[in-house]
This record gives sequence, C-alpha cells and structure tokens, in this order.
Amino acid sequence: MSDLMLAAGAITPEVTVVPGGWAILALLILGSLTLFAAALDGALSARAAGVANGLGRPFGETARLLRQRRRTTVQADHLLWRIGGAGLLVTAALMVTVVPLGEWMIFDLDVGVMWFNAMDVLVWAVVWLTGWGANSAHSLVGGYRFLAHGLGYELPLMFALVAPAIAAGSLNVGQVAEAQDELWFAVWMPVAFLVYLLGVVAFSVSGPFAPAIGTDIAGGVRAELSGVDRLVFEAGRYALLAAGAAFAVPMFLGGGAGPLLPGWAWVLLKTVLLLAVLVWARRRVPALRPDKFMEVGWLVVLPAVLVQDLVVAVIAAGRG
Amino acid sequence: MGLISGIGRLAARNAHVLVIEVPGNWQTRAAVERAVLMRGWRLAFSPADADVLAVCGGPGPQLREAVELVWHQMPGPRVRVEVRHRGEATTRLDEVHGRLLDTAHHRSDARDRPAAPDLLADTEMDHGDMDHGDMDHGDMDHGEMDHGEMDHGDMEMSPGGIPLAGGGEDRDGLEMDVLNVPLGPVLPHWPAGLVLRCALQGDVITEAQAELLDHGTPERVPLSDAVARRMDNIAALLALAGWGEAAAEARVIRDCLLGGGHDAEVAARTARLVRRVGRSRVLRWSLRGVRPLSEGDLGVSGLPAALAGDTYDRVLRMLKAADTDVVGHRISSDQLPRLVSGLDLATARLVLASLDLHELQAGPAEHEASHV
Repeated sequence: MSDLMLAAGAITPEVTVVPGGWAILALLILGSLTLFAAALDGALSARAAGVANGLGRPFGETARLLRQRRRTTVQADHLLWRIGGAGLLVTAALMVTVVPLGEWMIFDLDVGVMWFNAMDVLVWAVVWLTGWGANSAHSLVGGYRFLAHGLGYELPLMFALVAPAIAAGSLNVGQVAEAQDELWFAVWMPVAFLVYLLGVVAFSVSGPFAPAIGTDIAGGVRAELSGVDRLVFEAGRYALLAAGAAFAVPMFLGGGAGPLLPGWAWVLLKTVLLLAVLVWARRRVPALRPDKFMEVGWLVVLPAVLVQDLVVAVIAAGRG
Repeated sequence: MGLISGIGRLAARNAHVLVIEVPGNWQTRAAVERAVLMRGWRLAFSPADADVLAVCGGPGPQLREAVELVWHQMPGPRVRVEVRHRGEATTRLDEVHGRLLDTAHHRSDARDRPAAPDLLADTEMDHGDMDHGDMDHGDMDHGEMDHGEMDHGDMEMSPGGIPLAGGGEDRDGLEMDVLNVPLGPVLPHWPAGLVLRCALQGDVITEAQAELLDHGTPERVPLSDAVARRMDNIAALLALAGWGEAAAEARVIRDCLLGGGHDAEVAARTARLVRRVGRSRVLRWSLRGVRPLSEGDLGVSGLPAALAGDTYDRVLRMLKAADTDVVGHRISSDQLPRLVSGLDLATARLVLASLDLHELQAGPAEHEASHV
C-alpha cells in the first residue's frame, strides 16, 4: 500500500520543486483564476438584476477604481489600514505557494497544510486591520462581525484540514494528493470537504459570511476604501476564494490525478470547476448572522467534523 | 493619452451611483435604481464607493446639508445630479455619463475642492446654526455628539475634531466604550429622511433618538402603487438579510409593477419569490425570535396590531401580502428608538425593515430620548 511508504515521510520522486522565478507564473495563474471568479460573479449578478451581460465587469471595475482617487479619513491609522487593505491579496498569493501544480511545486514544505492554515488565520488580522484603520464606525463594526464569524468557522476549518492529513499520514500537500490514488478524500470524508468549503467562503468574506462588508453598514470594513485601495481589497477577496479552491484540489480532489490530460491540466480544471461552484453556491444563501453563527459553528459543525476526524483516524489505523 | 482616455471611457461605463431619496420620492428613487442597473452601472453603498451622487427629489435644508457632507466625502472623479421626476431618470443619467468623461473638469475639481482641515474648521463654525437653530436637542449631552456636522471643536477631547468615546456599562455590567453614531440619512435601504442617533457599545445600540429631517415631509404614495411599494420593502429586507440574489429578483418585480405591468408573468414571479423566501431556513433562523412584540406592547406603544409577533412573523406577513394592495403601515418616528434599543446594528436594521413602512411620520415627542 502506498500510504505506508508516504507515512514514513519519504519524499516522493513525482514532486519537483521549481526555481523561485516560477512564482511569477503561479501569480499569473492566481490572477487568471481571480479574474475568472470575478467575471462569473459579475455575470451572475447581472443576470439576477435582469440586465445585460456582466462578464466584463472586472475589467470595468478595475478601470473605474484605477481612475478613482484614493481617499483618507480623519485620524485614520494609515499604516495598519493599508496593510489590511493589501493583505488579502498577499495572503492568497502565499496560500498558493504550497499547492502542487501536477508534479511541480514552488515550496515543498513538510508542513504545507499548516502553512495554509496559518495563512487563513492571517486573514483575521488583515480584515480586522482594514476595519480598524479607517477610524470609522461602520468599518469598525464590520471588523467586529468578521471576528465573530471567525470564532465560529476557524476551528471547524482547522479540523477539516486535519482529516486528509491523518488519512495521508503527512502534512506535506504533495503527499496528501498522492495518497488519493484509489479514492478522492472528498468522497470518503464528505463532512470535512464541506466544512472546508464553508471555511473558504468564510475567509474570503463572501456569500453568507459577507456581513462584515454588509449593505446594512454601508459596506462595513470596506466602507471607506476607494480607488486602488478598494481594488486590491476586492481582488483579494476573489483571490482568496480562488486560492481556497486551488488548495482543495490536492487535499480532497486527488490533485493532478486523472485520465488523458497531464497533471497540471487536471489541477487547473478541477480548480476552475470548484471555483465556479463556490461562486455560484455562495450567492444562494442569506447571511449567517455573526452573533448567532458561533453557536452553530461550535455545537453543530465542530462536533460533526470531529466525528469525521475520528472515523478517518480509525480507518487509517485499521489500514496501517 | 489614448490609454488614459480609454480607461476613462471604460470607467464611465461602470460607474457606481449613491442614490439619496428625499422623502416622498420613492418612485423616483426606484426609477433611478432601475436606470442605473440597466446601464450596467451599479449602486454604491457608501460615499467612498461612489462616482455619482443622485439625489431623488428636491431636498429641504437639513437634507441638503447632509447631501453636501456626502459630496465632500466622495473620492472623485465625482458627478452629482438631481432627479426631480421618475420620468427623467434615464436622460439625467445620460448627462451624467457625459460629465464623467470630462477629465479636464475632474482634474480641476480635484485641485480646487476644499481639503479636510478646511471642512473640519467650517463645520465647527457652522455648529451654532446647525445644532440650535433648526432642532431643539433639549438636554442631550453635546460632548458626546458625533463628528462632522455636530462637532464642538473641543480639541483636547476630540483629536482631529472627533470626540473620544465615552464609557458606560454594557449589557453585562462591564465598562465599555460608548460611541455616538448617527444612522442615516444617507444609508442604503434606509427610510428616507430618517436620522437615528444611536449610542453604540460595540455594535449594540444602547440608546437611540429618531429625527425626521426637515420636519418629515409627508410621503404620499398613491394607493395604486401600494403593491410596488411593498415589493420595494421586501427587496430592502432581503438585501439587509444579506441575500443579494433574492433582493435583485424583488427589485425586478417592483420595477415591472411600477412600469404598469400587473400581468400573469409578474404574478408568477412574485409567487416564486415568495415561495423561495418562505422556504429559506437560514432566513428563518436569523429572524426568528428577534424583537418579539406582543399585542399588549403594541397597544401601549400605539403601533399597528398587525406588527405582532417576532421579526420572522412580520416578514411572513409581508410576503403573504405581496400581491395584495393592502397598504403598509404608517408609523411615527417616535416608535423607532424603542424598537431598536438593545439590538445590534444588523438585527436593528432587519427589525426596521420588517415594519413594512408605507409612511414614516414625525412624532410629537420626536426628540425625547428612549432608554433601554
């Protein structure tokens, strides 16, 4: 059984670490996925509003925000505010460094899963700083709301990431992908997969987890952002969704495994499909109230994912 | 230059519009919203996001002051427009499109517009007329009033003109900062002309005072538009509940109704929306048990008996009445503080949206404070 070899921590020959310069390509791919998500979202919201094609919206928005002036608020905490605004995009870029594209990787970290987890926790700080820095009541309330959501989704997300790692016996993302020769983890650990996707929607501050940027508080953490600051914030949200979808591929969807096409093509194809599903699905649910969500997160979602971990652990031990 | 003008053209085709409704002009606002979306433009949530400021109707002096404040907060390139009738929405926006392209004008606007320190100094001087001329604030604590238009210029306690937060006991008896934040008059899905001056601890409203700007111009909604008006209320509620897609659908139905359509297709879409919203468990979960009102409460406070139950009950009733021309409620602004005190901002807004307002009237005791 191949798991045994993986469990020993052997570096599998299939993964090749590419030189750092290739990170530019990774950024381009992330950028294209971000653009794809934004275009699809634009098209779906145009359709809902009963108006013409919205596919070009990301280009239009980019042009608009590039032309718009940056603004500031009275006594803003500029440094923290700008760090927060740009932080989402940076976090998404750091997330994808541990995602293997077929056999190629930028960072073959032994603890790649933990790295991803650390990055998604970074989102807490980033969103909070964006809300805090503007010195505006609506932004600040948006920040509170994100933290309240975070308390509810973060622990279930962590334990959802634990399940594939237990089954593969490794925290190395490439090895987790390899461990799915026979059956995708999404198939035999569906609860962990769904909770992971919930977490992705949550840390991209979107869909049912959008109250932090809600209409009712004039846009929440982004209420005071304009021009290029708003552009990087919004792009960062789509990029996080894209990075989350990309990371799900090696963790739950068998990585580059698939017939006919090469591994890298399968990774991209699976990422695009999952990303499309996420963009579509997150629109269909009303907001989960931040003050009530923690109860659900801790009393329903967390126990469910813990039971999932237990089942996975028992099966993994049984095989071993 | 080709690139800059190209970006300018693309930007103007994707403008975001902040719509301000003057009380009594909701049909104009609906027409502007429709025209905005039809052009492929979008509605803005805040001044920072807006390229265009569209005022629907002719504002009175107090609302005009608020509009000015919002105008100063817009980043630019910025264009403002006043739309007086629902019929002229499309032509006015066509003009706006042209003005957005006038890069030379926007350059000089950016150079000549007053800077933040000038504006802050101005508001300190204006303070006299603003605060004491038009409104009688009785014994309100001026030290805690919010920034901008209400500033006292007490520089020691107010860095940058913004007073520091005061302290107070929160719901659990712990000391917590109190921020004074006015909600409205410019806020998406907010009753026109309403300002709710809230004391916030965290995001919980501990105390509120309602005021209708310009003494509450009465809103005359023709009875024939009652169905469309309710659909507008439903759209606002769904948007506040974070369900953009359903809100967009409600808005489309509203616009069909306002356009004179009352045919089978509209009826079918309404029925579909009502079913979809009624089926949503998440919506029920988030609205159930929020601000329940017993018949007794309603009797004492003089609210319509039809508002009994919790927020979800009220929403169901709104949906049930979606295709009937039963008129929504007339409520005095005095009632609002009692309804929102003790709630966090999100639920407070949902409670207000569940009232199915047809008309908001200025109450006799408008300035009286309400305590939890």
